[in-house]
Amino acid sequence: MGSRSELLSLCRALLRAGRQFPHYNLREYTKRRTMDGFRMNKNLTDQSKAYAEAKAQLVVVERSVKLYSLYPPPKTKNIM
Amino acid sequence: MASKVISSTIRRALSKPHGAVSRRHHLSTVAAAAAADTSTAYEDESILMKGVRISGRPLYLDMQATTPIDPRVFDAMNDSGINEYGNPHSRTHLYGWEAENAVEVARIQVAKLIGASPKEIIFMSGATEANNTAVKGVMHFYRDTKKHVITTQTEHKCVLDSCRHLQQEGFEVTYLPVKTDGLVDLEMLREAIRPDTGLVSIMAVNNEIGVIQPMEEIGMICKEHNVPFHTDAAQAIGKIPVDVKKWNIALMSMSGHKIYGPKGVGALFVRRRPRIRLEPLMNGGGQERGLRSGTASTQQILGFGAACELAMREMEYDEKWIKGLQERLLNGVREKLDGVVVNGSMESRYSGNLNLSFAYVEGESLLMGLKEVAVSSGSACTSASLEPSYVLRALGVDEDMAHTSIRFGIGRFTTKEEIDKAVELTVRQVVKLREMSPLYEMVKEGIDIKNIQWSQH
Repeated sequence: MGSRSELLSLCRALLRAGRQFPHYNLREYTKRRTMDGFRMNKNLTDQSKAYAEAKAQLVVVERSVKLYSLYPPPKTKNIM
Repeated sequence: MASKVISSTIRRALSKPHGAVSRRHHLSTVAAAAAADTSTAYEDESILMKGVRISGRPLYLDMQATTPIDPRVFDAMNDSGINEYGNPHSRTHLYGWEAENAVEVARIQVAKLIGASPKEIIFMSGATEANNTAVKGVMHFYRDTKKHVITTQTEHKCVLDSCRHLQQEGFEVTYLPVKTDGLVDLEMLREAIRPDTGLVSIMAVNNEIGVIQPMEEIGMICKEHNVPFHTDAAQAIGKIPVDVKKWNIALMSMSGHKIYGPKGVGALFVRRRPRIRLEPLMNGGGQERGLRSGTASTQQILGFGAACELAMREMEYDEKWIKGLQERLLNGVREKLDGVVVNGSMESRYSGNLNLSFAYVEGESLLMGLKEVAVSSGSACTSASLEPSYVLRALGVDEDMAHTSIRFGIGRFTTKEEIDKAVELTVRQVVKLREMSPLYEMVKEGIDIKNIQWSQH
């Protein structure tokens, strides 16, 4: 529950999952929110609650990515 | 650590998913061409719609019109929509109990966001229905003693239309003017209150210009004179801290799709202590405390509740991000252009809304040129008519400036690159239009446009 390597692997898993969203805005948001989330909670003494929250978010992100990718993408890509 | 960064960058550059998406895109192009779709034609991945060619889906900067559903909210909605399909008002079996539980959980989530008790939340089909119920319901209930309603000129169309409906029924309505920065004049409000005033309705955050009204002071004035205070907080909840007790609010309308929730759901907060009474708009089986009959849409209500809880958790983080983006947008535009006016007070404003007017530019042509940025001029509710927005007219903005106003809506998912691109596109379009404009040439030479005597033929 919070060793350095576990935290790093959770962060990496979240980032890797977020990269798979078909939507530009969601990709960028997941990346930014993950990095900021881990950075903000870096100095907490009791990190167990934040760790549990992050794990729950990982489940949600993976499920959302699968669902969003199941539908065909819109006919044209975003201009970004 | 550096090697990890390098390896992850390389991995990202070679990552499959983007390739997979474009492969699927080519297949769908072939299939669509085979179906002979005549409404949109695309070559080189550009779209031709309504006579304009755009090279891709525009970047979305219209968060006041609506917001995309947050994937976390979507996840919560699907979770329940699949299994908990019972009618929450069926009291005899598990399906009903489960659905009722889900609705109660959502009620608690919404109530926590605004500092109310769950028993005071009534779910509706949106902020428009909530506004209608509040304004018409209160006045109809007290129609024997109270005949007067006070509202402002910058309210949402549904409130203004409800007040017009009340006027046709015989009530009197005072439309308070606003100052040039969009805020209500508290002295005028105090003077306008009469002994037979039944309701004061002032929206918390305006959807067009984004100004935040002085809610605490208005609440105090209403408490002194013992008048119920209704506010349309559709744009305010989840974005600025809202506390119904501090603001002394009797009724508050909320909307789901402005806080990254589903469309078609909203809520009305009806205070219980001291009790405010309403006549319901939807009559029927007496659901939702008798104030809104009809089966509750469990899936959407759950989405609304999840969106409210998410908004409560993320409010500070989002506020910081959106404020940074707003400054970036404003400074970026101001650096390259002069004659840019912000409509509405800069100090008392919600940071996600930036309404700019560009002088010496024609409004329609500006919007036509900005097709790669999804923005709006005026609000979606009034865009069917040709006249400039009534909100800007109430602020005292000149006709020509009102026509060139654009409303940029920044939200949780907007990125820095999108803002930079929007700045670049806007500046390019305005410069192009100004170069063609003879009025701008005259202004540059120092002629004062307002004092010209145009020759009559």
